[in-house]
Amino acid sequence: MANKISRRKFLKYMGATAVSVGALGGSTKAIGQAKRPIPTTPIKIAAVSFLTGAAAAPFGIPGDNTFKMCADVINKEGGILGRKIELASKDEAGGVDAQVKLARKLILEDKVDVDLGYISSASCLAVLPLADESGGLIVAYDCGTHELMEGPKSPFEVPKFKLGFKSSAHLGIDNIGLALFIKKYYPNIKKVAGINQDYAWGRDSWLIFETAMKKLMPNVQVVKTLWPPLGNTDFTAHISALMGAEPDIVHSSLWGGDAVTFTKQALGMGFFKKIRMAYSRGEPYPQEVGKDYPEEQIICCAGTHYFLFTPPDKTSAGLQKWFVAEYRKRYGKYPSYPCYHAYQALYAYKNAVEKAAKAAGGWPTIDEIAKAMTGLTFPSPSGPITIREDHSAIEDVLVGFSKMTPKYPFPILDPKRMEIFPAVQVNAPVGMRTVDWINSWK
Amino acid sequence: MREWKIVMWVVYTLNGLYFAALLFLTSLGLNIILGVMGILNLAHGSLYAIGAFMAAWTIIQIATKAPASFLFLSLLSGLALAGVVGFLMEKSLIRAMYKRTLEYQLLLTFGALLLLEDVIKMIWGGQAYYASAPFDFLGAVDVLGHVYPIYFLFVMGITFFAGLFIWFFMGRTKLGIMLRAISLDREMATGLGLDIGRLSTFAFVLGSGLAGLAGALVVPTTPALLGIGMEPLILAFIVVVVGGLGSLKGALVGALLVGFTRSFGIAILPEIELPLLFLIAGIILVVKPQGLFGR
Repeated sequence: MANKISRRKFLKYMGATAVSVGALGGSTKAIGQAKRPIPTTPIKIAAVSFLTGAAAAPFGIPGDNTFKMCADVINKEGGILGRKIELASKDEAGGVDAQVKLARKLILEDKVDVDLGYISSASCLAVLPLADESGGLIVAYDCGTHELMEGPKSPFEVPKFKLGFKSSAHLGIDNIGLALFIKKYYPNIKKVAGINQDYAWGRDSWLIFETAMKKLMPNVQVVKTLWPPLGNTDFTAHISALMGAEPDIVHSSLWGGDAVTFTKQALGMGFFKKIRMAYSRGEPYPQEVGKDYPEEQIICCAGTHYFLFTPPDKTSAGLQKWFVAEYRKRYGKYPSYPCYHAYQALYAYKNAVEKAAKAAGGWPTIDEIAKAMTGLTFPSPSGPITIREDHSAIEDVLVGFSKMTPKYPFPILDPKRMEIFPAVQVNAPVGMRTVDWINSWK
Repeated sequence: MREWKIVMWVVYTLNGLYFAALLFLTSLGLNIILGVMGILNLAHGSLYAIGAFMAAWTIIQIATKAPASFLFLSLLSGLALAGVVGFLMEKSLIRAMYKRTLEYQLLLTFGALLLLEDVIKMIWGGQAYYASAPFDFLGAVDVLGHVYPIYFLFVMGITFFAGLFIWFFMGRTKLGIMLRAISLDREMATGLGLDIGRLSTFAFVLGSGLAGLAGALVVPTTPALLGIGMEPLILAFIVVVVGGLGSLKGALVGALLVGFTRSFGIAILPEIELPLLFLIAGIILVVKPQGLFGR
């Protein structure tokens, strides 16, 4: 409760800052600076997501759909300061080298105003340094790694990139959120295990979860950690190995086809009768798998990105209602968390441009937009988003249990047992590495 | 507690058998093509992927409309299409490679791999195909108090009969004996008047069809996705290295060895899941470079 009040206070404070920044803009104009014209040409925005491959169906396509939907809506409402958005959807497939080349081309040759993109942590780590190198604005919208904006040791200097931003929180919130949730609902469990893919995403997710569990529930023993390769098609050996180790709860950051394959095969092998899964980003899969998806599994939403969640503030709640209905109307599905991430990236840019334009008295430069984006708070369908001075967004996180209801053809998160952990509880403070922060918990 | 542990060892064994069954089918095709034609087909994984996509697509088309028996017949669509693609590949590309050295074959079949990957993308798009109807339909059976999916047993059964068929075909039929003659001594076989061209086409189609069948059998347990053929290709190579080139017995023993090592390895030593199989292949290469049953 205390956290809620402090967040409200914080928002009020942010509002006051925005007003004062506006006033400041007014006063500089008054001194006699010439008003900068707003170009009549469209704003060029590149949106890079996986349009092919394993990550396309669960993340890339929903993310890209949302970029298109939001750009369309913004254009119908008159664009950003009267300028229409010209959106170019690009494919993130082809590996890191291809993405570095593409980002360079987008910024230097195509001269896009902003590059919004990247689902893979590897793409983000490779592409974001190009922002300062090539002088283009890059906003990472979905990738999870906590290493992206963190320095080598605490305390580190911020921001890491002058023109590089991350408009969603990193994987820390999911895995800390899961640990907090487990402590609250299962304070007496003895054994946990993990199954995570054998690369940065899986290893980082497990690291944060294990560190948080050690701090929160020091008596819990880790009985098995499995590392299947990405794109594994046969999980029977893993499922049996987990069942043999008899943990109470299994942590997993599996995604895409792997998450679906694991769930399907585990169902077939009676896994869920004995063991509960805790999925760090499990939100899209009940909808993908359908009514067979097991109940009572712990599912995290990469934030509060859930189509049945109503944010406490009115503006965001209104946006959520519109967002879910509009997405469903256009694409026949309920929006999953990558959709919310795409919204956040595009509207972070829109809000920053509008804020910067007010201050500059005309169309802002890239540096001015970056300055405006730093410390920006704006409403989104899943609640207000704040991008801190480390250029990284922080978010609350929602964790719940899957439960079948008569209303939906797939299990939803049980509305009676949804937990929301506020941003301050799951995000490390500015300049501090997440692991160091967790280890400093009292 | 103790009893449960024993049950789990039984299940690990079943898992190992299931994985070995799929591997055996995939590597059998690779092995026939390698043995009879001397072609190392890097595009073998793509034929597996074509089988997977075709079967997934067919299952999705008929899942709600046709009776259940059609679900299982639709798995054969994967075998059929992979066979057709294999036929076209042999007639157009592979044919020119018989007299060339290994480097040319590798370059050409690698090119075919990239090409087929794009063809799959062109036909089926970038999305995932979920086709679990046969898996769901068969349900589960009780193995000493542990639930086990019947579909996995079905795959083992199909593989057993496919293996038996190939063994009978290669050992007892005239066509099979001719194929073995070519694999033993190509020049002598030509001298005896065997139609090498047609027999080679046949061997390539047979191998491709087996890859397609393996892909089709997998797809009810995992979505068909771009790149689905890469992992089985690598594993099939490990099996061929372990078991020995051109040996049916080798493919069987190699597949079982890889299947069991993986299943028990993940249960006992999960940290080295990825390097474990390569380690075995490495040891075999050092100790017995021709493979366990290689000539």
